[in-house]
Amino acid sequence: MSDSTPHGFHSTGAEGPAIGQDEWVARHAEVRLLPARLAPLEQRLRAVPWWAWLTLFVGAFCLFPIVEPSGYVRQVAFLTVLYMLLALGLNVVVGWGGLLDLGYVAFYGIGAYAYALLDSPHYGIHLPTVVSIPVVVVIGALAGLVLGLPSWRLTGDYLAIVTLFFLQLFQTVTTNWQNVTGGPFGILNIDPFGLPGGHKLATAHGGVFAVSYLYVALAIFVVVFVALRLLNNSRTGRAWRSLREDPLAAEAMGMPVNWLKLLAFASGAAVAALTGTLNAALYGNVFPLSFYFVTLITIYTMVILGGSGNQAGVVLGALIVSPLLEVLRDADKSRVLFFVALGGGLAFLGRRNRRIAMVAGATLVFGFVVHAIARAIDGGWVAGQPGAGGFAQLVDHWVIAPEHPARWIAPVAYVGVIAAALLCTVLSGIVRDIATVPTIYLGAFVWENVMLSKPDPARYIVLGLILIVLMVLRPNGLLGERRVEIV
Amino acid sequence: MDQFIQLTVDGLTLGSVYALIALGYTLVYGVLKLLNFAHGDVFMVGTFAGFGVLQLLGGPANPTVPIWLVIILVTLAAMAVCAALGVAIERFAYRPLRDAPRIAPLISALGVSFFLANSMQLLFGATPRNYDLFQYHGGTLYLRGLHIGGVTVPLLRIITILAAFVLMVILWFLVNKTRTGKAMRATSFDREAAAMMGIDIDRVIVFTFILGSALAGAAGVMFALRVPTNVSIGFIAGLKGFIAAVIGGIGSIPGAMAGGLILGFLESYIQGYVHGAHIPDGTQWSDLYVFSVLIVLMLFRHQGLLGRPDIRKV
Amino acid sequence: MKKAFVLALAVLATSVVAASAQGSQTASARSLANVNCSKTITLPFVTPLTGGAGFLGAEQMSWAKYAVKTLAPGLGLKVKLVGGDTPVEQGPAPAQTLAQKYIGTPSVLAVLGPSTSGAVAASTKAYYAAKLAHISPSATRTTLTKKVGGTFDGTPAFFRDVPGDYIQGPSDANFMINSLHVKKVVVMDFQEPYSLGLAGAVDSTLKAKGVSTIRLSAPNTTTDYSAYVTKVPSDADIVFFPTQKPGDAQTFAQQLIEQGKKAKVFGGDGSNDASQFKQPGSYVSNFAPDITGIAADAKIIAGWKKDNAGKAVGSFGPPAYGAVQIALTAISTACKAGGGSTNRAAVFHTFKKVSVKNWILGGSFKWSTKSNDPLNAKFYIFQIQSNGSYKLVG
Repeated sequence: MSDSTPHGFHSTGAEGPAIGQDEWVARHAEVRLLPARLAPLEQRLRAVPWWAWLTLFVGAFCLFPIVEPSGYVRQVAFLTVLYMLLALGLNVVVGWGGLLDLGYVAFYGIGAYAYALLDSPHYGIHLPTVVSIPVVVVIGALAGLVLGLPSWRLTGDYLAIVTLFFLQLFQTVTTNWQNVTGGPFGILNIDPFGLPGGHKLATAHGGVFAVSYLYVALAIFVVVFVALRLLNNSRTGRAWRSLREDPLAAEAMGMPVNWLKLLAFASGAAVAALTGTLNAALYGNVFPLSFYFVTLITIYTMVILGGSGNQAGVVLGALIVSPLLEVLRDADKSRVLFFVALGGGLAFLGRRNRRIAMVAGATLVFGFVVHAIARAIDGGWVAGQPGAGGFAQLVDHWVIAPEHPARWIAPVAYVGVIAAALLCTVLSGIVRDIATVPTIYLGAFVWENVMLSKPDPARYIVLGLILIVLMVLRPNGLLGERRVEIV
Repeated sequence: MDQFIQLTVDGLTLGSVYALIALGYTLVYGVLKLLNFAHGDVFMVGTFAGFGVLQLLGGPANPTVPIWLVIILVTLAAMAVCAALGVAIERFAYRPLRDAPRIAPLISALGVSFFLANSMQLLFGATPRNYDLFQYHGGTLYLRGLHIGGVTVPLLRIITILAAFVLMVILWFLVNKTRTGKAMRATSFDREAAAMMGIDIDRVIVFTFILGSALAGAAGVMFALRVPTNVSIGFIAGLKGFIAAVIGGIGSIPGAMAGGLILGFLESYIQGYVHGAHIPDGTQWSDLYVFSVLIVLMLFRHQGLLGRPDIRKV
Repeated sequence: MKKAFVLALAVLATSVVAASAQGSQTASARSLANVNCSKTITLPFVTPLTGGAGFLGAEQMSWAKYAVKTLAPGLGLKVKLVGGDTPVEQGPAPAQTLAQKYIGTPSVLAVLGPSTSGAVAASTKAYYAAKLAHISPSATRTTLTKKVGGTFDGTPAFFRDVPGDYIQGPSDANFMINSLHVKKVVVMDFQEPYSLGLAGAVDSTLKAKGVSTIRLSAPNTTTDYSAYVTKVPSDADIVFFPTQKPGDAQTFAQQLIEQGKKAKVFGGDGSNDASQFKQPGSYVSNFAPDITGIAADAKIIAGWKKDNAGKAVGSFGPPAYGAVQIALTAISTACKAGGGSTNRAAVFHTFKKVSVKNWILGGSFKWSTKSNDPLNAKFYIFQIQSNGSYKLVG
């Protein structure tokens, strides 16, 4: 099979699904479509055993706090590890089981609350950590079983609805059942982890996040990663794969489809509950709203970005999205991120592709020209204060930042840039290139003037955009495998 | 007895809005087998569009045209804006995923929902917008109305219920008595067969989205006529519309209408009557009760009250 | 496979050993690390800038900006105000991340906020451990500064320049009893910390004085209150409605009229917004009188209005101005005492000694000796007039 096109039926378009193909063929077909130069490198990369990658990764992460002593950065790192764990768990349900679970965050919350109830002054119970963590994991698994039960009768979309309701239900219960869950006040003063022998791991020294928790989280991450990988490589994993590709055929072959689904739910829930204990122990408190829709979408973005079905992929997704969200909190850093990403992305794509390089160059020139014209017309149009720091000053020469923008400018510019971007996707050829130039410039204008003024919704807009663009352009994410659905 | 009448009227008003939202879900699900998570946020955009037009027409205290015309214009404007939005969403977020695995457009829909809600937050801020029709002639829309028993049904509620009814009749007409409606029904029954019969699937789908989103816009105005709106209502409104569509049977148009009304009544009566020493209080826990009803329904009749059971061909 | 297990165990063992290691030295020493007062000091403000309560944070931020602009030069300080957004939809958790961020920023000597009580409870322990004083212009939950029935959620590092619910609750209740002569009151809450605390305080005071009360609870996302209105008895005098969304108070009042109930709506300080809550006959309580009536504030108001064209003077903003005033005064005093440089611990200890002569909310400002609250603070009750304006009645 030396030719580059896959055998079998051809679909209508080059990007369409290879109907009648299975996953293995599709994957190998994709590999062969890579440029020949890269193939030996990729072979070598693929030959490195997975545990070596894991060791390398964890080692680098462990060294990280030594390099960066700031408590804030460590906490973000800790949060990232939590997200990696959550992504791994969601990967089991969505990536391996193929079940769209929109209530996943409820298990995270159940784990956190269960630990809070077992180890805090709320009920006066203070179980040793080595007891409470397994108990919470079991509770999580049981909850996963309970939520998985409807999956016996319901498929795809209905299951998604029911799981979403479960999340809403969790929110309602934790907010209103004040006697048990503390209601909106949450549960405070939760015990930190304790090593066997009684010594408690302090969560903070002088108010600053303690690095020991990062190591604990990493240790748990390693255990979970390895355990899940072993699970996936076993009979269960193979059964899950067949369930995901074609549930009807799997059932016809005598697989216990219902139990498999339950197992997927339970495993994912157990991982989420475990992560919940980490969350509760470090922050020392739990609140209902910490486990709601926003967290759900964040985890989904990580899983989709990294590639659902691929453990390394979802970890990578978490590694990218979590710090990204933190960086976007700060206007100055967001500006740097945006322009570096824009400039870097165009430069990278343009080094081989002349059209893109020309568009990039044209945009640069266009920007300076428009800036000069605007300044000539009215100085106040470009006199706005973009922000502090040298980078901001540099950017200010290119982007228009009006001093007192009229109120209608923000909505009009925002809608305008979206409409322009969408228009560009519909056009083709030289017209598209010409249209892209003002679109990019308008995009920079909108970022600078509209989105940086309110970083919080801007962060989530970026998240939503990532989801949409990913699904449309590359649904298998960074490292995932292209799924085909047997029609 | 008075409380019963009041709660029934409340249920009817609520239910009409839910029914309109549920219709949008059901229509799209029928032709695309896609749960359009972004629908609730389209509803929210409709409320804001209506608010903008209301201000253009002079505001609630001193409108430049008679109040009935104001309401009609505001509704039409919201419907138009939402229809355009719905078409854009379909064209760019769902159409490229027409042949992808089912999970893909669902996740794209989640992304669109998140994107819409946060974009509106970015552009218009979190301040609630109140149509504040109480300002019109000292609140006559609230105070004058039909007298049933000891209860006055205010004009505003009557308008809401009537408008929803009229829209549902128009929808029924469009779906059952026109050629495009027939094409829609055919597509929702079997997309490939319909394509082979020469129906332009893309156009049918666009038409469906126009209808569904316009209804969401109308629902938005009906909702916002009485209560303030803000950028965060999309999630809950969408969820409620979902529940209504699922109760009635997703994919079935009379089901969506029935489901909406049922949900409205359920919520109203539970909040009004369920109150006891040992059971969770209705006003606080109405969500819990509704979800329980829903889950029981899903387990025993998952196709809803009026839906068709799923027959999958192998 | 065996390799994998061995590897995993090795990593686990290493990390447990590492876990017992000491935390970072520099972190805890930071509270004693001296900062040069001639350099720019960062003043973070943790408040909801977006989300359901975003209007509150935005208003507070605008007054804080004005305060920094006008007060810092006079105190000889260079101050940079930064905002930390804690949207209420995400609960109190973001406040903890922000606390870590500001604790880790060396140029921070004091913090403004958090503005919401839940966020304070979540983050104050971290601030206290870092000896970082933080002052909130709007977190009114009683247990943040006083012990109630064994619960104390605050720390000595938390200060507030507005009185808490332990004053607002009884004030409102006593006004209802003494001035409005109520016999039956419906008390509502919205399943979030602010309203639950306040509703509880009002409920218990009313009950203790023999008024019959009915408790109702609505989810925070409710917009249509019709069903709740049906549960308001026709002979109820007042519905206590401690919402943080003034628009909801307006809706409720209108729906009461719609269903022919005679009860009037009584809102807490969260519903204080004349542009949204304007139903004549309703009541609003607030920790500040309308400052446009205070002669000494005229210049401040005029200056603020110039910077914020077209915006109305609300009631959440001025306490933020006051908080900045206290914080900057404390920093400046500590700087002088330290001969041009100071640290967080010193600023923390100076906080309690600050007093302000011309307090923006009227009179002068002193700390109470018993808790980190203002001394002799009181709540003011307003009634909404037929033209929508707020008139002071109690």
